[in-house]
Amino acid sequence: MNVWDLIILQPVINILIVMSHYLASSFGLAIIALTIIVNVLIYPLTMKQINAMKGMQTLQPKMAELQKKYAKDRQKLAQEQMRLYKESGMNPAGCLVPMLVQMPIWIALFQSIILSLAVAPEGLLNLARYLYSWPIVYSILPLGKDFLWLNLAEPDMPLAILVGATMWLQQKMSMSASADPKQQMQSRMMLWMMPLMFAFLCLSFPSGLALFWVTSSVIRIVMQYFATGWGGLVPSTAGKQVVSDRRYRHRITLQETPLKDADTGADIVEPRSTQGEGLGYQKPGGKWQDRFRAIRRQPRGTGGHQRKRR
Amino acid sequence: MWFRHNRVLLGKTLFLLVILLMVGLAGLGCVRGMQSVGWSGGAVSGGTLFVGSKEGRLVAVNIADESRQWSEPLKASTPAGGFGCAPAAGGGGCATAPAGVAIYGTPAVSGDLAYIGGYNGKIYAFSSSSLATRWVYPREGNLEPIVGGLTVAQGKVYFGCSDGKVYALDAATGDKQWEFETGDKIWSTPAIDGDTLFIGSLDNKLYALSATDGSQRWEFKTGGAIVSTALVQDNTVYIGSFDRYLYAVNAIDGSLRWKFMGENWFWTKPIAYDNTVYAGCLDGKVYALQASSGGEVAEFNLESPVSSSPVMVDSSIIFASQKGVIYSLDTGSSELKRLIDIEEAVYGPLCASEGVVYIHTQNLTLHRVNANTGTILTSISLKSKE
Repeated sequence: MNVWDLIILQPVINILIVMSHYLASSFGLAIIALTIIVNVLIYPLTMKQINAMKGMQTLQPKMAELQKKYAKDRQKLAQEQMRLYKESGMNPAGCLVPMLVQMPIWIALFQSIILSLAVAPEGLLNLARYLYSWPIVYSILPLGKDFLWLNLAEPDMPLAILVGATMWLQQKMSMSASADPKQQMQSRMMLWMMPLMFAFLCLSFPSGLALFWVTSSVIRIVMQYFATGWGGLVPSTAGKQVVSDRRYRHRITLQETPLKDADTGADIVEPRSTQGEGLGYQKPGGKWQDRFRAIRRQPRGTGGHQRKRR
Repeated sequence: MWFRHNRVLLGKTLFLLVILLMVGLAGLGCVRGMQSVGWSGGAVSGGTLFVGSKEGRLVAVNIADESRQWSEPLKASTPAGGFGCAPAAGGGGCATAPAGVAIYGTPAVSGDLAYIGGYNGKIYAFSSSSLATRWVYPREGNLEPIVGGLTVAQGKVYFGCSDGKVYALDAATGDKQWEFETGDKIWSTPAIDGDTLFIGSLDNKLYALSATDGSQRWEFKTGGAIVSTALVQDNTVYIGSFDRYLYAVNAIDGSLRWKFMGENWFWTKPIAYDNTVYAGCLDGKVYALQASSGGEVAEFNLESPVSSSPVMVDSSIIFASQKGVIYSLDTGSSELKRLIDIEEAVYGPLCASEGVVYIHTQNLTLHRVNANTGTILTSISLKSKE
């Protein structure tokens, strides 16, 4: 038995089996319970990842602007990007590291469920080498495969659809609209690709795994809700994003504007050509309009937002 | 530092990771215990060895000239899933597995018929000379997967099925004679002694049934599932269970005579010789126990789980460990001799004829080892010519 099997797989398999025993000999309940427990244990990591992703998404429009602005000056672009990360307190590796840490945990759970299910006779024979010498563990095997309408050892179409649906929902919640078309396309691809691929996988794998994926997605949806609300499911979120995007665009434009131009007193008025961009941007009576009116009313030379920066 | 400067690259990396994860998951599923490959042992009759191959065919090997015949492949009950890994396909549906129906049970030969059960839930009777199909049970549809072997006696074919039933069929026609339902799947091979059939079930029980009409004589409950085949000798039934005990049960009334605890499951059929019972265990040991009391005489460490049923050659018992090491245990001197390492996993029962041990591995190969000298003879490929 290798180190991975000994340290990770063996304990998880035995815990799954013991949990089955105490949860009315239901392997389905054991899968759900263990998925919840693991999610609770890695809750800080998950939240860190969600928050990091959220932060990165808010920076994306600003990044797009920087890329557009400094397309020909890579060094300057890198400097500005670094500055932006620093100013916003974001670490670009913030969502990657928790994900990398979580990955072995999910793989271990996945493998443990497959091994414990012992779908083929070879699987049951193979399972014997992972067992601790606890009487409960030996006697309860092979585990019962029936759960609700499912045979956990066989694929199930409704559950595969549920996997796709919950995964889509969770992806959608974690997304926010971006003004960058490239980013939009990538997000759209991820939104559909992942759920479809997992749903397709579930048509081939035992439904015990699908149950694990559905449970994980539901937990992630709950976590995501508490972290970001309904996120990308609510259109107004996208609107706010675009407004902040424009403000940032103004700021970096004005950083490059000569002083005499900045002193006109109307220097932050949007050019007409860009007003139609974005979703939910021009809601009448919204905060943006109020702010706009307030700025227009300011007398020349009193030092607006831009002056203060200088 | 590089991804700080390139957000697009970061996104792509994440995406690639996801794809890798998914490919890994798919690959993993195919490798780790999801595919049914089969571990059929061999049965020798009239100079011919019959074995179920990984391709889902019955293969007849002429022991003298090594010529081979293949039956038509058994047909899978359902197509494989999207990635080809659906477990209920009746066979190794995985892309890395054979296309055929898995065969776990050892064929049975009686008269001019050779019988075999498939993981597709069908029993087949072939002509033992031409391997032409004589009958199939059930004629329409499929039963649940058949994992245990078949036993032919008194003109009937007996087998257990994953639907939890024991079936008795007319050996000549395949007509059902009777069936008996247990509480869970049956992966065990029936053992017949006189007019009584003994079979274990995953419902933890050992059943004694009338071989004539399938009526229950008694049942004996153990602490775990039973997949091993019973050994019946001197009115005692020896059978292993998943509760890690080897049981000796009175064959007449089903009362417990003794039980012996190993360190893992007893998966294989034990063997008895000269008042001693030899039982291989998944803890990697072979236990020699007194047949009358269950007292431990000796234990032999094979250093790898023992899941293939042993075979007797003269006064030696030949064991194979899962790692593929073949041992000879001299019952007189209680000396364990390592014969050879065939370096392939061995799960299925061993078979012997005229001093030669036949070992069917999952690599479509029939290995041959001289039981006395340990010399390995030329192996025989079971791969069909089609």
